[in-house]
Amino acid sequence: MFTEAHVEADGFQIRYLSAGEGEPLVCLHGAGGLRISRALELLSARFRVYALEMPGFGQSPVNDRTASTEDMARTVAAAAAALGLEKFNLWGNSFGAKIAMQLTVMNPDMVRTLILVSPAAIRTTPRPVEGEPTPEMLYAQPEKQNIAPPSPEISAKQRALVQRLSGPPRDEKFEASIKGLEIPTIVLFGTRDRLTPPENGRIYRQLMPKSSLMMIYDAAHAVDADRPEAVAEVVGDYIERHDSFLVTRQNGMLHP
Amino acid sequence: MKIALFCNTRYAGDAPKGVWPVPGHTYMPEVATRSMDRTLEQIRLGDEVGFDWLTVAEHHFAPFSMSPNPNVLAGALTQVVKRAKIALLGPDVPVLNPVRVAEEIAMLDTISGGRIIAGLMRGTPNEYVTYNINPAESRERFQEAVQLIRMCWTEPQPFGWQGRYYQHRSISIWPRPVQQPHPPIYMSAATPESGEFAAQNRLGIGFAFTTVQIASVAADYYRKQCELNGWTPTPDQVIYRLGMHCTEDDEEGIEDLIEAGGGQPAVGLTMTNKALESAVAKSGYYGRDIDKQRARLQSRGEVRDRIEKGQVLVGTPKTIIAQIRRIKDILGCGILDLSIGAQMGDKTLKSIEMFGKKVIPEIQAL
Repeated sequence: MFTEAHVEADGFQIRYLSAGEGEPLVCLHGAGGLRISRALELLSARFRVYALEMPGFGQSPVNDRTASTEDMARTVAAAAAALGLEKFNLWGNSFGAKIAMQLTVMNPDMVRTLILVSPAAIRTTPRPVEGEPTPEMLYAQPEKQNIAPPSPEISAKQRALVQRLSGPPRDEKFEASIKGLEIPTIVLFGTRDRLTPPENGRIYRQLMPKSSLMMIYDAAHAVDADRPEAVAEVVGDYIERHDSFLVTRQNGMLHP
Repeated sequence: MKIALFCNTRYAGDAPKGVWPVPGHTYMPEVATRSMDRTLEQIRLGDEVGFDWLTVAEHHFAPFSMSPNPNVLAGALTQVVKRAKIALLGPDVPVLNPVRVAEEIAMLDTISGGRIIAGLMRGTPNEYVTYNINPAESRERFQEAVQLIRMCWTEPQPFGWQGRYYQHRSISIWPRPVQQPHPPIYMSAATPESGEFAAQNRLGIGFAFTTVQIASVAADYYRKQCELNGWTPTPDQVIYRLGMHCTEDDEEGIEDLIEAGGGQPAVGLTMTNKALESAVAKSGYYGRDIDKQRARLQSRGEVRDRIEKGQVLVGTPKTIIAQIRRIKDILGCGILDLSIGAQMGDKTLKSIEMFGKKVIPEIQAL
């Protein structure tokens, strides 16, 4: 069960949800705000999960102070430090993935593993919709989801913040900053993602040749909601074993 | 119109009939070797006399088509076929490792200089016994495998795959296809589910063991689905397979076929094992129009009846040209895949030659 608490960092009161025991896994949400996907629930059985609500999202006040995603990354790093986390695994969904990468670049000693879930930091195609994406855009099986979209007021506030912070579709300075990143990184894309098409995965893999690119079959943008078991299994294994996760531990014997 | 020649690697000796799997107690290696040589001879001739494609298929545990891995046979064909394309119609994808299928086809495309047609099939129901795969999973496995195979061919960076049925931590195949982005993909579209999937993924389709009427209903459904998905398939994206025997006299052709079939209507592999077929049917393998699909597989008739239904082309070049025009008018297919009676010796070779020289030039513009 995730429980709610707040932590003060960088002058913000930051709401977060946490659950589980084990190595810390800090999660940064996408443009739609904080949601606990089924994959995060499953991962909380193996790790101590902290899902932070970035300032300006959800019920928090309008955030006029954060000037860039880098600024936001500094705030998140401060929140993690305030939670007593010296070194942690860092997960970023979509918009949150860029902030996770920037936090890692600025504080390489803080991050043990970087998990990028449908990262939207590099955009090669125009957005198929303006405004809040429909459930059909987010999920491959929207009928299976039980997540209410944010209220119009919250949605408008979040979208304005995301728009102000997102930066250009191809941000040369940013891309140069992650080039050759040595922190163990796994990049997840859904094969049915229309918001950040899976073909974008190869750009991250080219920039970070040591990263692992993982296609989540039959998942749309919200891969961790569409294929929670598949995402939790591969992410859990990667956090535990990094590159050794290439070698399967699945038992093939049928009968002893 | 393009014409493919499908030479079954049929065992040229005595073998038990009407059972599956077929016992091997009468099997003679030298006969099997001769059978393979005969197939290669027929294929070589087909290439020389102008067939556009030469087809190989996958079947297991049976003498009528000794080609459990069509890609192995296609490997031999790359050295025999100098001009035509080599059509894999095709690997039974749900019972295989899709990455291996992608690798083998890419390898064949490389060896052949980009002459491979990639038919990706579900296989006949009996093939689910072959490698012990649950036929209830057939369609989902197939759909996932096709998408994985396509990604193996097109993704330039190493990638992992978290599927429902397939899991790979890192894939980056070598060699990769010569044809870009990949060889043309075809699949069977006998069922509405298959037509929908082919339309969604912009794949070509093919029909076999059916009638031209049944196929035309399925082809129309596919075209409608393509329209819903915003594209129009070309005639070349529809293949129709049927039997062919070309002779100098119409009656002679019919008599040859009756003699070659022992005078009995042929029964498909699946239907020879009733317990197997009914278990496959219960698994949901056939999809939502199960009754039609089972009736289709059971439908085998006399030669004249089969001509009428568009299941076989028989007779003189002139007669066959008329039969082809009729099929083309009803179905709108751009490719005919002709299955020949491999066991008729010189008559088979003569049939291939006459078709190539006298029929193909007349129907190319169709």
